[in-house]
Amino acid sequence: MIIALTIGVLVAGGTYLLMHRSLIRIAFGVGVLSHAVNLFILTAGVPVYRDEPIGDEMTASIAADPLPQAFVLTAIVITLALTVFLLAMAVIGRNDNTHRIPETGEEHDR
Amino acid sequence: MNAPYLPLFVALPLVAAGVASLVPGRLLHRSLLLLGPVLTGIGGVWLLSLHLTDMPVAVAQVGGFVPGIAIPFVSDTLTAVMLTVTGLTTAVVLTFAMRTGESSLPYFTPLALILTGGVNGALLTGDLFNLFVFVEVMLLPSYALLAMTGTWRRLGVGRLFLTVNLVTSAIFLIGIGLLYAAAGAVNTAALAGVAGEDPRVALGASVILLALLIKAAAVPVHGWLPRAYPGTSAAIMALFAGLHSKVALYAIYRIYTVVYDATSTYLPILLTIALASILVGSWASFGGDTIRRVLAFQMVAGVGYILLGVALSTAAALAAGLFYMVHHILTVGALILASGAIERTYGSGNLTRLANLLRRERGLAWIFGLALLSLVGFPPSSGFWGKVSLVMAATQSDAVVATVVIAVIIGASIISLLALQHLWREVFWGPPMELYRPADPLIHEGDPNRPVHLPEWVRIPRGDLVPAATMLGLSLAMFLAAGPLFDIAGEAIAGILDPTAYIEAVFP
Repeated sequence: MIIALTIGVLVAGGTYLLMHRSLIRIAFGVGVLSHAVNLFILTAGVPVYRDEPIGDEMTASIAADPLPQAFVLTAIVITLALTVFLLAMAVIGRNDNTHRIPETGEEHDR
Repeated sequence: MNAPYLPLFVALPLVAAGVASLVPGRLLHRSLLLLGPVLTGIGGVWLLSLHLTDMPVAVAQVGGFVPGIAIPFVSDTLTAVMLTVTGLTTAVVLTFAMRTGESSLPYFTPLALILTGGVNGALLTGDLFNLFVFVEVMLLPSYALLAMTGTWRRLGVGRLFLTVNLVTSAIFLIGIGLLYAAAGAVNTAALAGVAGEDPRVALGASVILLALLIKAAAVPVHGWLPRAYPGTSAAIMALFAGLHSKVALYAIYRIYTVVYDATSTYLPILLTIALASILVGSWASFGGDTIRRVLAFQMVAGVGYILLGVALSTAAALAAGLFYMVHHILTVGALILASGAIERTYGSGNLTRLANLLRRERGLAWIFGLALLSLVGFPPSSGFWGKVSLVMAATQSDAVVATVVIAVIIGASIISLLALQHLWREVFWGPPMELYRPADPLIHEGDPNRPVHLPEWVRIPRGDLVPAATMLGLSLAMFLAAGPLFDIAGEAIAGILDPTAYIEAVFP
């Protein structure tokens, strides 16, 4: 229940932030939304505490499902890389949603 | 059945990208840039010949784990067709990028090679989470390529493209989570037919399909494509047009036929999406102010035609949709590259700034005219057979569906014809063109925005038109060789409609 509520709040907050014009807020929104998605995938395994699924040391009946954890790990890496790129885009053209040509140090044409 | 070489389709481009980012050298970069996609294309042809003769499905269980735990790379006829087409398209588009000099931009070579690797991986993978990963591998270099080339608008549209794709990825992951929670697997072969048995699985897979529809730019989630793609350069737009939405459509084809068992339960929904895409895309083509924006709307319409195959989900309709997909990649690619050649010489793709090119540019007019005919669906072009086969497939469904589908196809084709006539009239007819915006700083005297008098001798260099002519030539060849090609398409569709061989290969 707590996990479900957390996911709900995170999705709501992420969606709210995505609705803004400012790219910084969109970047935060994407971050919050991706946390919600990661929690969501974790609940696809067993959400209660299980033991570490390492090699032969653990019997399958009490070990956690390693697959959702692997999914989340991959998703975190991808989202981190993209958030960094999104922040870079936010820096390059501070105001390009208001028809001001961003200063990229090159000649702008047509 | 076992084919341990399949991961090479992903590994070799990625290794080449690593080499290219470390080692400088124009010749090395150019040869790597061409070798990556050309080898993919040749590998695709080779796989295709293999699948059509003695081995219908080839599998590589990566890492040597037992089947079911290993993440498989699977190739069947459909995969091989797509590998061939995307590989060759990428090679042709990259030769255009070399002509325009974009390939000399820093890190262009590694980015393009990573893109190739990601596309190959997304086509070959037999696992839905891995599909997500490879789609991201494909998109990551795309963000950089989009931000690197084209006009300053690219920065604005780059934000749009990035944000849309990030949110779509989140939706994709939610679908994966739902699917894994309900079915306990994300392996395509393990999911075969389960969506019909368990509505929770159907829900999870439908969320994945929604994410793929956004990436494919189907109506009503198409809005980003006609804004984002024309903002980048012609070469990059041609690359994206041939790869991105088509990979998403390929995944939709596979997931819908295998996981949903090509059921007709969802026919009304899918049919609405497909027909709305066709109509909106065709109608919106009137509103484009540049050549490439018109083409971007035509791409939305093309997505609709391709989705018709999934919506009707009979063997004939799916084969027609696959044929249409290949036709669409080639024709739209030819048009975008021809538009890029115009923009390079005359400095603008704006319909109001171009006129009377028919007199000046005979070769271009032939290429453009034939490609437009192909897009609308007239002979002698691949578009003709694409639309004829879709109509013929529609007649096999019940009367109401058939009537609606055929009426929309014909109506939308007429709308497209009128919209593209408008494009033709603005660009190729009209009073002689007097002003142009040359890229050469000696002529425009420092201000590339200032239009200068157009001298009589200005022509598009022949070499700029070769890539577009190649794509168009392939489209015309598809018209002539339609019979054998439809046999291959039928074979590919038979492989996904009856995935027994696929499942047996993945779980021996």
